[in-house]
Amino acid sequence: MTTAEATVGRVRAPHRRRGLSERQLAGAMLSPSLIVIAVVAAYPIGYAIWLSLNQYSVRVPGLSRWVGLDNYLDALKSSDFWNAFKTTFIFTGISVSLELVLGLGMALLMHESFKGRGILRATVLVPWAVLTVGTAIMWRSIFEPDLGFANQVLDALGLPGGHVVWLGQSGYALAVMIFADVWKTAPFMALLILAGLQVIPNDVYDAAKVDGATAWQRFTRITLPLLKPAILVALIFRTLDALRIFDLPFVLTKGANDTETLSLQAYQTLTQDRLVGQGSALAVLTFIIVMAVSLLYIRFVGGNIRTLSEDT
Amino acid sequence: MNSKLSSGLAIAFVAAVAAGCGGGGGGGGGTTPSNVGENAKTVTPGQAQNAKGNVNWCIGKDTTGAFSQVVKLHNQQNPNVKVKLTELPTAADEQRNQLIQRLRAKSPECDVLGMDVIWTGEFAGQNWLLNVTPAINARKNEFIPSTINTAKIGDKYWAVPFNTNAGFIYYDKSKVKTPPSTWQQTFSMAKSDGGFAFQGAQYEGLTVNFLEMLYAAGGTVLNSDGSKSTVDSPQAEQVLTQMQNNIKDGAAPKANLTYMEEESKRAWLTDKDVLLRNWPYVYAQAVAAKKNFGVTPLPKWQGGASASVIGGYNLGISAYSKNPGGALEFINFATAPAAQKKFFIKSSLPAVLTSVYTDPEVKKKVPFAAELLKGVQQGKARPVSPVYPQISEAIFKNVYSALQGTSPKSALQKMQSQINAALKTF
Amino acid sequence: MSTTVAQQRTWRARVGARARERAGPRPPRHRQWLLWLGVIATIAFCLFPFYWMINTSLKTGAELNTGKLFPNNPSLDNYSSIFSNSAFTKALRNSAIVAGTSTIIALTVGSFAAYALARLRFRAKFLILAVILSITTFPPIAIAAPVFKLWTDAGLFNTYIGLILPFLTFVLPLTIYILVSFFRDIPKDLEEAALVDGATHFQAFRKIVLPLAAPGFVTAGLLAFIFAWNEFLLSITLTSTPDRRPVSAAIAFFTGSSQFEVPLGTISAATVTITVPLIVLVIIFQKRIVAGLTAGAVKG
Repeated sequence: MTTAEATVGRVRAPHRRRGLSERQLAGAMLSPSLIVIAVVAAYPIGYAIWLSLNQYSVRVPGLSRWVGLDNYLDALKSSDFWNAFKTTFIFTGISVSLELVLGLGMALLMHESFKGRGILRATVLVPWAVLTVGTAIMWRSIFEPDLGFANQVLDALGLPGGHVVWLGQSGYALAVMIFADVWKTAPFMALLILAGLQVIPNDVYDAAKVDGATAWQRFTRITLPLLKPAILVALIFRTLDALRIFDLPFVLTKGANDTETLSLQAYQTLTQDRLVGQGSALAVLTFIIVMAVSLLYIRFVGGNIRTLSEDT
Repeated sequence: MNSKLSSGLAIAFVAAVAAGCGGGGGGGGGTTPSNVGENAKTVTPGQAQNAKGNVNWCIGKDTTGAFSQVVKLHNQQNPNVKVKLTELPTAADEQRNQLIQRLRAKSPECDVLGMDVIWTGEFAGQNWLLNVTPAINARKNEFIPSTINTAKIGDKYWAVPFNTNAGFIYYDKSKVKTPPSTWQQTFSMAKSDGGFAFQGAQYEGLTVNFLEMLYAAGGTVLNSDGSKSTVDSPQAEQVLTQMQNNIKDGAAPKANLTYMEEESKRAWLTDKDVLLRNWPYVYAQAVAAKKNFGVTPLPKWQGGASASVIGGYNLGISAYSKNPGGALEFINFATAPAAQKKFFIKSSLPAVLTSVYTDPEVKKKVPFAAELLKGVQQGKARPVSPVYPQISEAIFKNVYSALQGTSPKSALQKMQSQINAALKTF
Repeated sequence: MSTTVAQQRTWRARVGARARERAGPRPPRHRQWLLWLGVIATIAFCLFPFYWMINTSLKTGAELNTGKLFPNNPSLDNYSSIFSNSAFTKALRNSAIVAGTSTIIALTVGSFAAYALARLRFRAKFLILAVILSITTFPPIAIAAPVFKLWTDAGLFNTYIGLILPFLTFVLPLTIYILVSFFRDIPKDLEEAALVDGATHFQAFRKIVLPLAAPGFVTAGLLAFIFAWNEFLLSITLTSTPDRRPVSAAIAFFTGSSQFEVPLGTISAATVTITVPLIVLVIIFQKRIVAGLTAGAVKG
């Protein structure tokens, strides 16, 4: 009978013990992701920091020397760095605000029920799917001074600006860059906000209507507060993205006319000037700045992460 | 986007990291910045005479078939050295990318390197090239003098010129009856008759445009031993003030501030402007567009001389070549009159030998050969320096800011201090 | 009449936890024209630049550089020229391989991690999640140069794997983020029932959680795919030959008849060509994307 007993015993044994313990399983399931992140994110950043603490000879192959924080001090002392800093933040501030306003409008529109709503929702996704480099090249041709479409239209309609050299003047160049960015990413913002709108149940509005709230009151007192989490997430995503902007200024102006952003400056120092130490310092500074901004948001993100990390 | 610039991205990383991380190699430890390639080996003409074996020639895509024809011809006439052609991509910066990748890996694959003239200083600085001074000295009289200067650092030559290039003034014959003989005249004509187009965007092309006038006015970028910048001079101020005024008074429309080669050519071809500064490639396109036009070498600066800035390609011998003698033998063949004539006619690559320009067949097939020779002869090299990219950046950024209204004097002061800083680069 | 905080609270309390497609309030008739004006403006704003690209791709020769709204002699020359260009067809293949593989790996690896984070009990969960999310803030420029150096030493430069790995850095955190929220939304009793029935945690994950989270996979997969397909800086830095170069980088290497020409016509044709599959995907999965984002990104 021992065999039978053993069989029964095996069948009755608590099943969880057959597999790994919960912590072991967690470790096993997390480790592939953590390894990837360690190899291609943490190690390179560490390496970039190390590069930034040295100077590498441009003239003599293989020569380098330890300079500590000199590369950072040089950057912080240069007016070019602070100009790029200013440009990056002006670009981010204006384009993210415009995207928010436009995205909110588009989201409200997409939330309305009407025939053809599906078409509208699909259309809105087009800019997001188009290759950024391709669109940047196209914007450059549209904003060409003589034969560009923008100036032809402005001219034909008798509007001011028909003779502006868009990409050749400070201010205008940044405006084109912001416009191109808003076109590309406002839809993504709209989608995130639409997602937020959809979790607001209709009966909340019905209740408010019963209480006599006007449409505007319903928008400002119900929709906006309830949308706050969605809007915050959208703002965080977009802000962090805009702070790293590289491809638009790279294609449109190569940084001329006050459009040099932090990423572009780091790139040009690394590549055009081949100053590896200095360029790495600029790249690390860009990284620190983006991190700092994300820490400013940490109250909101933190709440989000905490919710996600709570045990259910 | 300009494909040249985008590929620059990739290359520059190659270069940047190559410069920064080659510590393990340790080959260049003894060189000092002022003595580029002090320990580099020299190839002598004698080595070429007894050469045999295989040689691999790495150069940009053979779009017209002239490269492979010359290789075939060589292999028939000099069977001791067997040359093979390895085609690199069409875009210049991509070619540079490919070459640097191989050189970083110390690959012996390419023996003969086809390099844009402005990479020569950098490649020599990295100890990637063999010293070819004796080979140049042996044939010095054949070359148009300006072309060999693009390969010269101090008193040493690091490559042999292969083809050359220079800027020209194109003018609309229906508006401009006689070509301008000075830059000042060019701009006053532009002001009264309808505009001058040049390359005024913030990039390498603007450096070239500025240097053409600076050299003509008698200004210089570096002192004779290349240790200090001399760019902040009365001549430079005169040139920069003129350039700034052109934009201000409309002789050169503001649109120029966004122009690279293509945009400026288009503005001129579509009659937005009557005068254009551009490279020889515009000639054939203007003929095809049935434009009534003339072309003239870059004019004199009033009170100065005339000058242009040399473009084109040089052939260098890789420091990792297993057959430097064979490489030199082929370079001599490819830069001899017969081959140069072939490249000139078949591929529109302007020859580096004076004699080729007076060849009757060349004169027939290249109608502006005489102007071209004059343009190249008055040409000067851009500063040949391992830190050329930084020098050029200091030039085009500050010229651009002057075009936008910064006072020329302060732009030049900044330019000079930035170039001096670049020269002190570790 | 103004609403009180208490009223707001009761309204908010009624907010459902589950994401559901919900019809918004139907607008009153007098607002209809405003609505349609907005719809038309939005469609024009979103589609015009894409139309412009198609327009440019149908032009040839001198017409390319005119600002004309329609091509005079529409021609498919640019399309036939890109498809006869082996650099472009190879790039299409490379992009499909690199973006497809990155997406599949991100979904597989990411779903493990997301399940562990959503369901399993272990320490330092908050920290791990914070670290993973902070990776999304990395500027690509900061890792481009070091990864280039690392790859040349390891022989991964100009290989598919050499592109897929860094893409994962950016794609994985997003995938994990979206999937964690999805997994948490799946009622726990289903898994518990399975566990009681003798399944292991891993079986519960595979047989119950995964199928239920399918919309999350679609969203995360599409976002990952589009990111990898469009990525530019790393693509151009970590490849060197047409054999391995993805399409976003290949377009930047198109050359015209002269060294200086930017071939607008073929660039537009190529951009249109590689965008169309994405648009089709996005349209097919449009509802899923909205639903996925609802679950993934919206809860604060």
